[in-house]
Amino acid sequence: MDLVAGRTFASERRPIRHLDPVLLITTAALSIVGILSIYSSTHRGLEALGEDPTIYVKKQVAALILGILLLLVIATVDYRFFKVYAGFIFVATVLMLVLVRVPGIGSTANGAQRWFQFAGFQLTPSEFAKIALILMLAAMLSELRTSEPMLSDVLRICIVSVIPMMLVFIQPDIGTTIVLVAIVVGILVVAGTRSRHLLALALTSIVLVSLAFQLNVIQDYQIQRLTGFLDPQNSTDATNYNRKQAELAIGAGGLFGSGYLGGTQTNLDFVPEQHTDFIFTVVGEEFGFVGAAFVLMLFATLIWRAIRISYLSKDPFGTYVAAGVASMLAIQMFVNVGMVLGIMPITGIPLPFVSYGGSAMLANFLAAGLLLNVHMRRFK
Amino acid sequence: MERSTSRLKVLAILVAFMFAALTTRLWFLQVLAPASARESIDRQSARFVDKDATRGRIYDDRHRPLVLNRISLEVRVTKDQLGDDAEGELLRLSDVLGIPVKEIRRGLDDKDYYDYQSKPVAYDVDKNISFYLSEHEDEFPGVEVVPAAVRDYPNGTMAAHVLGVVGQIGADEIVDKRYKDYGVNDLVGKTGLEKQYERVLVGRKGRQKYLVNSNQEIVRVLGEEPAVPGSNLVLALDLDTQRIAEQALSDGIEHTRTLFDDTQDPPAYLKANSGAVIVMDPTTGGIKALASWPTFDPSWFVRSPSKKQLETLYGEHSGSPMLDRATQLSFAPGSTFKPFIALAAEQHGIANFGSYYSCPPEYVYPGDTTTVFHNWTTANLGTISVDTALKVSCDTVFYQFGADFYDRYNADQLGPDATLLQDSLQQFGFGTATKLDLPLETSGLIPDPTWKEEFAIEHPDVLLPDEQSWLPGDDIQMAIGQGFVTVTPMQLAVAYSAIANGGKLCRPHVVDHFEDPAGDTTHTVSGHCNKRTLPYSQAELDYVMNALTKVTQPGGTASTAFAGFPLSEVPVAGKTGTAQRPPFQDTSWFAAMLPAGNPQYVIVAMVEQGGHGSTSAAPIVRQIIEGLYGIDSGGVVDGGSTD
Repeated sequence: MDLVAGRTFASERRPIRHLDPVLLITTAALSIVGILSIYSSTHRGLEALGEDPTIYVKKQVAALILGILLLLVIATVDYRFFKVYAGFIFVATVLMLVLVRVPGIGSTANGAQRWFQFAGFQLTPSEFAKIALILMLAAMLSELRTSEPMLSDVLRICIVSVIPMMLVFIQPDIGTTIVLVAIVVGILVVAGTRSRHLLALALTSIVLVSLAFQLNVIQDYQIQRLTGFLDPQNSTDATNYNRKQAELAIGAGGLFGSGYLGGTQTNLDFVPEQHTDFIFTVVGEEFGFVGAAFVLMLFATLIWRAIRISYLSKDPFGTYVAAGVASMLAIQMFVNVGMVLGIMPITGIPLPFVSYGGSAMLANFLAAGLLLNVHMRRFK
Repeated sequence: MERSTSRLKVLAILVAFMFAALTTRLWFLQVLAPASARESIDRQSARFVDKDATRGRIYDDRHRPLVLNRISLEVRVTKDQLGDDAEGELLRLSDVLGIPVKEIRRGLDDKDYYDYQSKPVAYDVDKNISFYLSEHEDEFPGVEVVPAAVRDYPNGTMAAHVLGVVGQIGADEIVDKRYKDYGVNDLVGKTGLEKQYERVLVGRKGRQKYLVNSNQEIVRVLGEEPAVPGSNLVLALDLDTQRIAEQALSDGIEHTRTLFDDTQDPPAYLKANSGAVIVMDPTTGGIKALASWPTFDPSWFVRSPSKKQLETLYGEHSGSPMLDRATQLSFAPGSTFKPFIALAAEQHGIANFGSYYSCPPEYVYPGDTTTVFHNWTTANLGTISVDTALKVSCDTVFYQFGADFYDRYNADQLGPDATLLQDSLQQFGFGTATKLDLPLETSGLIPDPTWKEEFAIEHPDVLLPDEQSWLPGDDIQMAIGQGFVTVTPMQLAVAYSAIANGGKLCRPHVVDHFEDPAGDTTHTVSGHCNKRTLPYSQAELDYVMNALTKVTQPGGTASTAFAGFPLSEVPVAGKTGTAQRPPFQDTSWFAAMLPAGNPQYVIVAMVEQGGHGSTSAAPIVRQIIEGLYGIDSGGVVDGGSTD
């Protein structure tokens, strides 16, 4: 009997039996919303150019399939394996961030040097830098001997974090830099960093950011985009235009929206970068408040699952990884949707799982895979 | 790990705040303030292009064209599409068109248009210029020569006052709610039928709605409403009758100016500065002809009239030719009023069609020997019947009737008898507009004690202190169509028509019916001539008609004017009128009903400063009758100087 019981027990402990269906359904739902929205915002423009109207959708679906495969691979390997290789992964990513700056290897667009181009695909290393940073910080903090990080630990964390942050910042990609900062803060908070250390960190950051402004490290247009939302009257036309069109599209949706493919703003190219950074306007215009609130609810569910997994994790590494992923998703969601709604500055942060973009898709599924992994192996 | 748990709560609360902020903002944008967003989007994403509707045409009673449309070549410029050297291009265009570049610029910079709209900068362009511009298309990007519809008048100035003119919508009309669906460059009826029937003639503009993208490129046509052409007007007015009436009026005025009238004070050549003629069908209320002199050329309005033309059209020294004397000005009717006075007197027991009345040269109201009322002639015509009094237009007989009406007022100032005369005259339509289908009609005036009281208060310096109340002279003067009473020629035509048709007061109308572009009648304008509204018996009306038949016969006041006219073939019942209007010369009137037994026409002629009724107005009416019946008596006749 014991033997039978033991076997039953062992089989119940098998990780595959402990998938998180809510997490999976939520990511799937967000991905589907993304694909529908990408089609709505691009098919007419592509038709007008005489191109295949589903070309963006096809690429996104390809990325989605790749992402699911990646998720499965990540979920099968015990996450503690990543703890061992966190340093290696981190260094490799930093190298990629350096390589992307090398002319002839990295590609340039809109004045930024961000990705590798090969075989019709683009690989954006900064997307993976987020995951690498999460793993690295989680690994470092989980190896502490003390119950809470000492000042020296915090400083070590900061020094390690600043490397990818600076590399991303000079691309320039302020959006991703903000996400990286949020990841560091999120993990430090959950790791139990003392409040006064956090405060000191915040003050230092403020001083550094002010210095960056003073020394003209940040381009004028970036300052304008960042501050435009605070003072719509005095910002440039282009900055205002993006904001205005996005708000119009959202407003036009009303309570129930104009119906799928029925959005005027969406179909007439009035909203710039709509299939990427402004994808939420499609949801807002075509599905209205009801649809937009539903998508927000999906994100809330997703982040709740991440925090829950962080709580359930059997070891600190899992807790920190899940907390890092939760921070990453929350800040991206908040800054992106906030930007569309006019309460956050315009920064190029994609909406996780929804925005068009292969690298972001892969990185997000990687993150989801890590969450699932921690969830599946939560029993000690 | 406990610390991590509590710190996770912090993270969860932070995230909860994020969602609260986003949801609140989303609610605000989508539910609280979405209407303005939708409006803004519609404005930026939809573009409309109007397609003009063809304006309805105007035909006479036998469907002969009076107003048509023709194509005028217009040069239009689209500011958006001008080449890189816009200034140079406009200078070259100015050279080609012969229009100052400043004027072209002014049109293009008009803030009422969008830059993607084409604006007309020149009208009625020569074909050669049009060819030149099309041949050098590449030198003039954004410039096009387009055919635009404008009004065409195949009969020149004929019936100008009736037809009216169209012009570009004015600033006062743009703000008018009635024109809210008009564009700033649209044409609207300004006067005459064009104004009165604007809504019928204008049709409905077609409209193409385009969806445009953020680059203002047309994405697709959202919808197309085809233009609906305006309805045509088919008039009661007859082109031949109109031509005869206009000819008679201008001939008559020209002839009158050659006459020296020693009965005028001071004796002088008659000025005959203006006149009007109406030919009306008393059985239908249809206006067969309506002429006013001086007249104008409606084709001046096809393009905007020049400053000089505007002075001619509206200047006082040119006699204000835009005014329609038949409906827009009122004058004292003089003796043409007598038939209505006679009927009113008979009805109220003041006169008796079987009795005889004395016709002395003078009349004095009992109790006021200081005021002497003269007959138009110094001869004593003895004791005469009412029909003779009408035939010879004896003023003194009618003075007595007027005095009797005054006595009735005096005896019952607050009762129903106070305004017996006024009430009777108002039944004939005097004092109120006839509601004819032409704009800006005036109502004339039938004075009564209340009116005089108010008038005295408003104009205290006009009337002497002892003249400010209702006096015997007011009724006495009104009995011969003098004093404060004024009527329009149209009112007189309607009132005579009521005698002619057996007591039915018609609503006169120039338009007979509307027809759609296919030629089917869509609406018929009625004169409402089928209701007997006047309280007189057929015998009473026949008596007056019979009396008026004698006016054109030997011994009547129009006998000279109708000398040699075949009255046995076409019996004409008529009445002369001479209204004094110091310091001006007398207003000459003649009203006729013919043929007298069964009238088919009522004709009223009025010549301002034309002397006696027989002098200028009666010969004009005679010439019209001759034209209608094809009688040739060889030009304008002299009518003599009888009332």
